[in-house]
Amino acid sequence: MSDIKSFLEGLDGLTLECEARRGQACSLKDLESLRVEFLGRKGKLAEAMSALVQMGPADKPAAGKKANEVKNALSALLESRQAELEAAEAQDALAGFDPTLPGRRPAPGSLHPVTLAMQEICEVLTGLGFEVVSGPEVENDWFNFEALNMPPDHPARDMQDTLYVSENILLRTHTSPLQVRTMMSRKPPVAVIAPGKVYRRDSDITHTPMFHQIEGLLVDKNVSMADLRGTLTAFVRQLFSADTKVRFRPSFFPFTEPSAEVDISCMLCGGEGHIGTEPCRVCKRTGWVEILGCGMVDPNVFRAVNAAGVGGYDPEAVSGFAFGLGVERVAMLKYGIGDLRMFFENDVRFLEQFS
Amino acid sequence: MHISLQWLREFVPYQGTVQDLADRLTMQGLEVEAILDPFESIAKIVVGHVLERVPHAESDHLSVCTVDVGQPDMLQIVCGAPNVAAGQKVPVATIGTTMPGGLEIKRAKLRGVESRGMICSERELGLSEDHAGIMVLPESFRPGQLLTEALGLEREVIEVSITPNRADCLSVLGIAREAALGFGLPLTMPTLNLREDASAGDAAKALRIDIADAELCPVYRARVLTGAKIGPSPDWMRYRLLAIGQRPISNIVDVTNYILMELGQPLHAFDRALLKGDVIRVAPATPDKEVGRSITTLDGQERKLLGSDLLIWDAERPVALAGVMGGANSSISETSTEVVLECAIFRPGTIRKTARRLALPSEASYRFERGVDQVGSLFALERAAQLMAEVSGARVYTGIAASEPKPWATREHGFRIDRCNALLGLELTPEFCRTTLTGLGCPVNDADPANWRVTSPSHRLDLEREVDLFEECGRVHGLDRIPAVLPKISKSLDSVQMRDTEFGFIQNLKAWAVGAGLREAVNYSFVGTEDLDRLNLPVEGRIKIANPLSEDQNVLRTEIAPGLLNNVRHNLAQGNACLRLFEVAKAFVADETSDTTARENSRLGLLVHGARHAQEWPWEQGEADYQDVKGLIENLLVHYRLTSAANPAQYVLEAAHPYLEPCVRVELPGKGGVKLLGRIGRVQPKIADGYHARKDIWLADMDADLLRELSRATTPAFRKLPVFPPSRRDVTVICPATMHAQAVENAIREIKPKLLESLALVAVYAPEDKADDSKGERNLTFRLTYRHAERTLVDKEVDKEHTKVLTGLPQKLPVRI
Ligand SMILES: [Zn+2]
Repeated sequence: MSDIKSFLEGLDGLTLECEARRGQACSLKDLESLRVEFLGRKGKLAEAMSALVQMGPADKPAAGKKANEVKNALSALLESRQAELEAAEAQDALAGFDPTLPGRRPAPGSLHPVTLAMQEICEVLTGLGFEVVSGPEVENDWFNFEALNMPPDHPARDMQDTLYVSENILLRTHTSPLQVRTMMSRKPPVAVIAPGKVYRRDSDITHTPMFHQIEGLLVDKNVSMADLRGTLTAFVRQLFSADTKVRFRPSFFPFTEPSAEVDISCMLCGGEGHIGTEPCRVCKRTGWVEILGCGMVDPNVFRAVNAAGVGGYDPEAVSGFAFGLGVERVAMLKYGIGDLRMFFENDVRFLEQFS
Repeated sequence: MHISLQWLREFVPYQGTVQDLADRLTMQGLEVEAILDPFESIAKIVVGHVLERVPHAESDHLSVCTVDVGQPDMLQIVCGAPNVAAGQKVPVATIGTTMPGGLEIKRAKLRGVESRGMICSERELGLSEDHAGIMVLPESFRPGQLLTEALGLEREVIEVSITPNRADCLSVLGIAREAALGFGLPLTMPTLNLREDASAGDAAKALRIDIADAELCPVYRARVLTGAKIGPSPDWMRYRLLAIGQRPISNIVDVTNYILMELGQPLHAFDRALLKGDVIRVAPATPDKEVGRSITTLDGQERKLLGSDLLIWDAERPVALAGVMGGANSSISETSTEVVLECAIFRPGTIRKTARRLALPSEASYRFERGVDQVGSLFALERAAQLMAEVSGARVYTGIAASEPKPWATREHGFRIDRCNALLGLELTPEFCRTTLTGLGCPVNDADPANWRVTSPSHRLDLEREVDLFEECGRVHGLDRIPAVLPKISKSLDSVQMRDTEFGFIQNLKAWAVGAGLREAVNYSFVGTEDLDRLNLPVEGRIKIANPLSEDQNVLRTEIAPGLLNNVRHNLAQGNACLRLFEVAKAFVADETSDTTARENSRLGLLVHGARHAQEWPWEQGEADYQDVKGLIENLLVHYRLTSAANPAQYVLEAAHPYLEPCVRVELPGKGGVKLLGRIGRVQPKIADGYHARKDIWLADMDADLLRELSRATTPAFRKLPVFPPSRRDVTVICPATMHAQAVENAIREIKPKLLESLALVAVYAPEDKADDSKGERNLTFRLTYRHAERTLVDKEVDKEHTKVLTGLPQKLPVRI
């Protein structure tokens, strides 16, 4: 008969020994041999347990219970060491890892600021219910001028110095021919915007011979100038900021009557005209920035398209508004670009600022 | 248009500030662009009193003057003018003053004598061309007074930008009308006080007016003056003209300019002594006759004429280009004494055509082509004649030589107030509209309250229709007071089909390019002929600009490349060596069948140049090459679902491309035959050199319209995922280096191994043994993937199919396995 007391002491001794030796295991391999030594099939625990069979029935339960506890304790001891060793090993593996090295960056692309502004403008306007239409850049005199109430030898043609291809063919001076093309092909109601390139025979510090415009046209029954103002107010508020104020100044465009220039409160100085004591350079002290031209579609335009197209544009039956804005101007205001000529140099250092 | 506030005040008793006036006019539609001080540059000049003048000891033309400028200290000024004398009042620029020419007056020593200022001539002050001596001022001026004040110079001038419709505002009178309307003030016309002299003669007898076509000239009137003494205008008139930027010339000519600026009526003065016969004829030029085919205008230029040009003739020959410029043969000179003063109206379109064709814009033609007040023209003539008599001492013949074949016909329009309010989105009252219209000079007949009859005045040629009256009501009420209402946008069913727009596709294409790591460039649509020539592009089909701004912008680009290549040059010059650019824009080719004579084709251009990666580490370094640009195109075709195993895009060498070498056509076989999507290639080194590129420039030029058309037709079609595993076999083919991989691939496909699911080139390398006979060969390894849809393949059946390939290839091609 084995002595229960010495059996139990022996087991405790195993725990103490394991506790003492596990620290010496410096690698997972060391630890594995230690595990085999204590918990293996022929290990120390198994050896101690062999005494269990000779135990009297009265002692067996206590001895068995203890043996189990010791087994768990040994496992726990070895596992915690394993965790320590694994953590250390992982750390060793990371020693060569340098998180500050640069990543393998795919080449960054970017949209041109004109496209960026144009997309933003179109997004706001399509959100308001306008559809996008496109048309030719080489235009007939009729679409570019005559149908838009600018007969030949009309002084209003001076407002747009024109690049000609031949006597009757020109580079469109504005996106307004799309008003005509749209109304000739579709009956009212129409609500369209037409973004695109336009051309003028004009080149100086504030003009480039090519630039971009977005035309807007809404024709329906009972469209009023209040609708125009509402649309443009909603538009500039979304494009710039919710507190942007809109000002209508009477002006003249041959194809709208009445016509207005639209100013918005200056985004740089908040309409104050000055920043602190410095005069504002964007609005030149006025507090207002000219942003677009607009007006109610001139009855003569309706008459021209009504006669030449699908019809439905009797000026007594429908009314409409039109507006047009320069995209470069919006881009300059929004992104703070000071020099118009930069737009068409395509210097990579300029382009990459719009990534 | 420059307007002096003081001049304006002679027409309207406006007492407010120039800023308030400017703001008001701007909000009335007359945009004031600037408030100017025309005499700012002489603002510091003071009146001096020459107390003493002694000759300079060291010089025979200099004088030493003691000048009182209203300060306790007398100034010693050395003056070189011959006319300086003690007792004179003179303009003095003191130390620290900057002269109009930019000269700063400093303390100086002239031949040993100190000078503390400068006594100025009129030319030095910009007041006239006179530089014979110093300007001598009236005795009454006080020393120390500012010269501008002493002379009464008008220093408040507004610059108004007048829209083409508002011809009526091209005068002091016109702006005064608007100011009167804006501030509720009365308008006062200058009092006429024309004294005719019966002893001089009767104008109607002295001169007959003969108008050929009433449409071209509805009215022509002339006053006749005699005994004029040509000389400078009085100071007040000269200074006033200077204030608004007009150069005074001589009294008679100045009066015509003065009236033009004041009343908007262009006038012309002939030297009557130079006119032949006693008739003024208004008739078109006669290009097919000896006389009347040309005219020498008063600037000395001979002008060739067309039958559409309108002339003023005397009994024998043309004497003026009507409404544009007088003739050299009849103009006022220093010795003129007899004057015919012309005051007429000409057809706007005629004047405009002539002025534009001859590039002869003038203040007169500018007004005539916009329209001049026919009714008001008589007053202008009378006031001009009166002023001429006053400033030149001339005597005025009684009466007027006149012909008015087409008197002004009043124009009446309907005015429906409910339409007005509906269009403007306002609720204007009848009272407001009546007051406004009447205030504008439009008599209102409101017998029918729903449809008034409104007569527009002769000076408002732009009020032609009801809607023009609506605008006036809105303008006077204030367009800025229109409320903002967000309209409900109704849609027609047709518009629903417009979802897939050209604009939308191009945005999508640009988004792809950005994702592919390219930067968008935007170039002018026009380039120079040279830019196209440099690329050896065909001359046929080019669309030239008839009136280009410069030679480097004289033709529309027929391809996308020229713009992108110019960007290479610019960027390399700036030291930007790694370029990955794209542009989506139209190329333009002449096309007689198009109603615009142009075919516009949207192109996508891609350009890579220099290092493959702008970032160095950790990328492998290398120069961008064919694989880079082709990879972009392959990715593009996958993006738009345009390529598939069943219908792969073909890359075909093209010989003799104008500027690419190699040049690869990107073709897409399809139902309608093979479609050319575009080209990929390297810019020929010689051409690239012209853009200062030392490394290869790789380009792709794709047809964006075709991409859109083809991509529209594609929809993703789901295929079941394979259930059974594939079986892969590699085959390495040793082939001549000149053989294209595509040829091998095609040959494999032609063998038609059963169960072949896909085929891919996985390696390209030179053979290992460098034996002489292997020169000019290369190894291509293809991976063949076999799969059966319904069961797992067994090796034997795969081997059987694969062996067909291995044995078949050398039979079809000069290759070894
Ligand atoms: Zn500001």
